[in-house]
Amino acid sequence: MGVLLEVRELVTAYGAIEALKGVSLAVAEGSITCLLGPNGAGKTTLMFSIAGVLTPRRGSIRLFGEDITGRAPSTIVARGIALVPENRLVFPGMTVRENLYAGAYQRADRAGIEGDIERMFGRFPPLKERAGQGAGTLSGGEQQMLAVARALMSRPKLLLMDEPSLGLAPLVVEEIFRIVGELHREGVSIFLVEQNAHMALKVAHHFYLIEQGRVTFSGDPGSLAEDEVIRRAYLGAALR
Amino acid sequence: MLVDLAQNTLDGLGTGAAYALLALGFTLVFGVLRRANLSYGPAIMLGAYAATWTSLHYPAGLLALAAITVGGSVLAGVYVERLCFAPHRDAPGPGRERRSSAIAAMVASFAVWMQFEEAATLALPRHLYAFPPLTARPPLALGPLALRLEALITLAIAVAVCALLWWMLYRARFGIAVRAVIERPAAAVLAGIDVSRVSARVFMLASAVGGVAGFLVAATHGQVTPHLGMWTTLKGLLAMMIGGLGSLPGAVAGGMLLGVLEAHSQWYLGPQFRDLSVYLLLFALLALRPRGLLPARRAA
Repeated sequence: MGVLLEVRELVTAYGAIEALKGVSLAVAEGSITCLLGPNGAGKTTLMFSIAGVLTPRRGSIRLFGEDITGRAPSTIVARGIALVPENRLVFPGMTVRENLYAGAYQRADRAGIEGDIERMFGRFPPLKERAGQGAGTLSGGEQQMLAVARALMSRPKLLLMDEPSLGLAPLVVEEIFRIVGELHREGVSIFLVEQNAHMALKVAHHFYLIEQGRVTFSGDPGSLAEDEVIRRAYLGAALR
Repeated sequence: MLVDLAQNTLDGLGTGAAYALLALGFTLVFGVLRRANLSYGPAIMLGAYAATWTSLHYPAGLLALAAITVGGSVLAGVYVERLCFAPHRDAPGPGRERRSSAIAAMVASFAVWMQFEEAATLALPRHLYAFPPLTARPPLALGPLALRLEALITLAIAVAVCALLWWMLYRARFGIAVRAVIERPAAAVLAGIDVSRVSARVFMLASAVGGVAGFLVAATHGQVTPHLGMWTTLKGLLAMMIGGLGSLPGAVAGGMLLGVLEAHSQWYLGPQFRDLSVYLLLFALLALRPRGLLPARRAA
């Protein structure tokens, strides 16, 4: 397995405040890699930096060795990275089908897009039932499915997922993680940010802990006791 | 009595159709940029002035004048977008600070408004110029009612423009991008939609719609003054506020309602109370329904 994504010494700041203070990590091709950490550790900032929404101050982001640091989000989507944002952010006034079209906005192959929409409907049957319905009328779990399907419409090589289980009922969370596993088996590499350390460690091949803008641990699930991971993921090392 | 009521409503719908177009242009820009563009009307005025100037110097038909008004409005609109709005976009990402850039954009659009008024008065210094009328024919008689042809033409063109806009926004690929940007700019960015490019195109589209309205208004009134700029901004803003901030169906409803209200208050209260009563109603409406009649759904 080669390295798909490599982040090196990344610094991203909001004004004078550095949210990422030199983050380095890698996502192997065909893997599920997980990023755990407490609120405010910089997880979402890292996701936005990779997706091109935020411009890093220093450091580099490489996809298959190609430097994509500071590229426009539309370029990065076209290069093969799609982000499923925290809180799903579906387009509530647009139909489910239109949401999927929006996800394919970078593509021009009409027939391929229609085919992919049918594939999404096959994978996520609730979306097919509600194809013509406004996305705002979907349940939280259905919206999460739609957000994942929308991201997949760009045919990404790497899927970034920011807190996909946030605010969902336990059964729905199980369903979301089942989908994560399924996508992985189909060859999509996944970089997952989670608060739900227990579920994340079950699916991940590799995980990183991020605390106060720095990666403080890197290893395979099992290389650190789960209660220790959970404690640090929720509270941060500073409170030890 | 009933005839008066019907006649006023009929007249109001004609004016209201032009207001609806003005409000649509305003709403489109507000929807994608979350900014009020004070130069919206002045850009339209500049387009109408370009047409007036042409009609004074060359023999030009109505269609040519319409094309010049719309083209001039779009050019002026592009100038406004580049100068006032492109440099002051919201920074994407979490915890963004938007207030300062919103104020900078609004003040900049005010400065360009003054610039446009000065430019117009330098080119055509008299206070008032004649604009070729839309039609010289007398009103149609509909039983006891008189239907002005100008109103009929304005209404028909407004319906056609609305249909075209609807198709662009709800049936075309471009519309997916526009609505995505309007509903959730942050998610639109993540879907690979180039928000600043889409915004610039919407700005041009809005200027074109406003230009059509500007031409219809100038040709209906048969005259232009530099006040046309402020007048169009005001009517567009008013109709948008009545209908509901950022809502396209609301813009149409607000425009029509504004036209009808004006016609009735002018008839029953006299022209000196027309604007006063409309503003009072707007005030009451905003107090009771701060988001307008048909507010847009918009997520955080």
